[in-house]
Amino acid sequence: MNALDYLQFVLAPQVVNGLALGVAVVLVALGLTIIFGLLDVINMSHGEFYAVGAYLALALGAAHIDFWLLIVLVPVLMLPLGMVTERLLIRPVFNTKDRHVTTLLVTFGLALIAEDVLKLIFGPNTQRPPTPIPGASEIFGIILPNYRLFLIAIGAVIVAGVAFVVYRTRLGAMVRAAAYDRNMAASLGVPVSLVYSGTFAFGVALAGLAGVLLAPIYSIFPTMGRDFILLAFTVVIVGGMGSIWGAVVAGLLLTQVQALASLVISPVWTDPIVFGTMVAFLVFRPQGLFGRLGHA
Amino acid sequence: MSRPVLEVSDLSIAFGGLRAVDQVTFAAERHRITTVIGPNGAGKSTLFNMISGALKPLSGTVLIDGVDMTGAAPERLKGAGLSRSFQITNLFFELTVAENLRLAAQVLEPAKRALLPIRCSTRAQAKTQAMLERFELTHKRDELAGNLSHGDQRRLEIAVCLASEPKILLLDEPTQGMSHQDTADTAKLVRSLTQDVSVLLIEHDIGLVMELSDHVVVMHQGRKLAEGPPAAVRADPQVQAAYFGHA
Amino acid sequence: MLDRLTLSMRASHVLAALLVVAALVLAVVGSAIGDTFYLRLATEALIFAGLALSVDLLLGYSGALSLGQALYFGIGAYTSALVLMKVPSFWLAMGAAAGMTFVCAIIGGLIANRVRGVYFALITFGLAQVVAKVVYNIRDLGASDGMIGIPVIDIGIGPFSVSAGNPVGFFLVVLVIIMALYAATAYLLDTPFGRVLTALKANEKRVPFLGYSVWRARMVCYLAAALIAGLSGALYPMLRGFVSPELMFFMTSGNAVISVILGGVGTLVGALYGSVFLVIIKSVIGSWTDHYLIIIGLLFMAGVLFMPKGLIGFVRPHVERMIAPRHLRETRAPEQDAPLKAEEVKP
Repeated sequence: MNALDYLQFVLAPQVVNGLALGVAVVLVALGLTIIFGLLDVINMSHGEFYAVGAYLALALGAAHIDFWLLIVLVPVLMLPLGMVTERLLIRPVFNTKDRHVTTLLVTFGLALIAEDVLKLIFGPNTQRPPTPIPGASEIFGIILPNYRLFLIAIGAVIVAGVAFVVYRTRLGAMVRAAAYDRNMAASLGVPVSLVYSGTFAFGVALAGLAGVLLAPIYSIFPTMGRDFILLAFTVVIVGGMGSIWGAVVAGLLLTQVQALASLVISPVWTDPIVFGTMVAFLVFRPQGLFGRLGHA
Repeated sequence: MSRPVLEVSDLSIAFGGLRAVDQVTFAAERHRITTVIGPNGAGKSTLFNMISGALKPLSGTVLIDGVDMTGAAPERLKGAGLSRSFQITNLFFELTVAENLRLAAQVLEPAKRALLPIRCSTRAQAKTQAMLERFELTHKRDELAGNLSHGDQRRLEIAVCLASEPKILLLDEPTQGMSHQDTADTAKLVRSLTQDVSVLLIEHDIGLVMELSDHVVVMHQGRKLAEGPPAAVRADPQVQAAYFGHA
Repeated sequence: MLDRLTLSMRASHVLAALLVVAALVLAVVGSAIGDTFYLRLATEALIFAGLALSVDLLLGYSGALSLGQALYFGIGAYTSALVLMKVPSFWLAMGAAAGMTFVCAIIGGLIANRVRGVYFALITFGLAQVVAKVVYNIRDLGASDGMIGIPVIDIGIGPFSVSAGNPVGFFLVVLVIIMALYAATAYLLDTPFGRVLTALKANEKRVPFLGYSVWRARMVCYLAAALIAGLSGALYPMLRGFVSPELMFFMTSGNAVISVILGGVGTLVGALYGSVFLVIIKSVIGSWTDHYLIIIGLLFMAGVLFMPKGLIGFVRPHVERMIAPRHLRETRAPEQDAPLKAEEVKP
């Protein structure tokens, strides 16, 4: 195989597939990092909210609701779920000494329940919704599924939208202020408690959106949330807690590392490489690539 | 006269571009109370943090009993005989008064007892008992430290520092937030400490400083402004300017 | 003089003794009626109780939540399985498992102890996931199927010999080992070193100023916990005759955390009771529905939110009152802890 063929048939598809996976991870990590950055909560049930989003889309899709409508509808439906979760599980322990560990454990408990409830309602089998955009396109001689191209595009739009809200609007300023110094923000008239539950709900809605978008590629099953969660946590830590750009860069970079490394070495060892990157970051640059929300 | 227990020379540190402490030199004599005073932001606490290992100095040296301990970790400084208290009460609030003291006294035990049951730590137990009596906390020995009154907590904090039998004790505003009566009691207490240890003090209450100290170091904007016996320092026009704002 | 922490530990010992009595009753009844199923189930509960014990040593005493303690359980199990395939010696398998776990824990500890709090939780989680995934793909270790056909061994104890295939006999062997691990942990915690761990959990920042190295204390605790997990894991292939990557997966670590929370964090004996309790709920609820995780999840959340000392928190204060000397009887028990102060969260 000559160099050009290698590029066209091996390297390029691998890069694009890695990119699609990267976008998927970024979508999951986005909500996680926002919740982490503002509330300091490791949301262990984030993967399950992602699964709930996918199942909601599945159920509503079965009721003949159009995919394009679902992209809007599911995140909206997820908002109250996130709100209630924050009020019932996060708020009561938010001022205790061990809140980091406590909130992690509580959300872990929620994950257990959510997973089993999904299994109870939808059964344990894997389901695969039809691809909303079928077919494939040829770009520079590389054949790429249309839906993956769409995913990459809409991923970029979502990231840009979220970044705009967080960094450019008054609402985002409130969130960043609360992340920087809760008491100071409260004294300046930021409705901190609403900002907290709103942000949590927003993160949950993003997870739900990721569920809608990724289900056609990665299928739907009750434990689907587990598959992404370690990678998403890795992305959050490498990118910097709460940093949106950090999550994007780390998400795309790590998945490329994974995709390209698997060309050279056995795919078994790509996970340790990605994880090793996270360890290196925790040890040498614990604030991550971009530093944490509100602080940089 | 023997060598001072603590010798600080040319100690400096910078945060960003700001020299928070700039070439400060002084010494604390044995069995004396040396006090560092200065307006807010003068760099007193930063100086304390460098001496006690919480911050690494940029330059300069710290000698404890003649041994260079510059930039050593707090646990090594403890071994060299330095003990410190904190401005904001820093105890094990979820543990009892006696356990707070016992943990501190435990360093007195030979290392080989670290893995024997604590009832074998006879020296630490005896020290705990002695400290409880000396600081009048015996009747509260089984109370959780978090449940004590503020005054009792401040006293326990000093007791904890003393329980390891240090050579030099750094006290960071021991009377902070205390009532008038408690302050007077604490002053008496600190005075009585010099039988066993040398004391380096940060204190805001100028009256107390003048009454207690043998030697006063005045800091202003990160530098040492003056030092000497309390009366001399008080009369120093530079000190008056720094404190009272008239040149 | 008896102090609070020693008293709480003694109350835990009373409850541990009760557990042993219950286990002995089960052994007698089980052997009388020729039961195998329940004895095997109880043996498994005890083995996982060892894993829970190691989680409690880390979480309940040094304050470090490990979400990947199954890593060392799995390393112990795989090492034991590999040894047993070659040489059917109980003591060699246990020794090799201990050695292997110790070496791996030094590496893991050097990585994980660079960080604390939730980062420690995430890194231990990640470490276990990554190693599990590697094991899952290594053909020599049986890959995703694990290793099967581990021979039934005879365990020589002095002049006696017990077959691991004998339900009562092996149950008693496991009981002795797990209780020995419990006793060793309890002993460790009642030494000056153990008290430094308690201090770490209460106020880590203060510890160096008392003259103790935080890193060393955390590392020793991590190694001890890993050893406990590894030795417990080493028993697993003797019971089941196989090992699989699932032993290292998050669910195994998660179950240990659940056991500790349900039983009572920082009580040691709670880890044992919690593990037994978890097995009981699983088999009771599991007998009429597959969805027992919902119940366990709810119990777990209730435990985290409302019962800081789990099941043991209800019982132990009573035991303490019964065995307390007079000078400790009047004051409040640590179980009704001082309300956690919000301002303590400050950096």
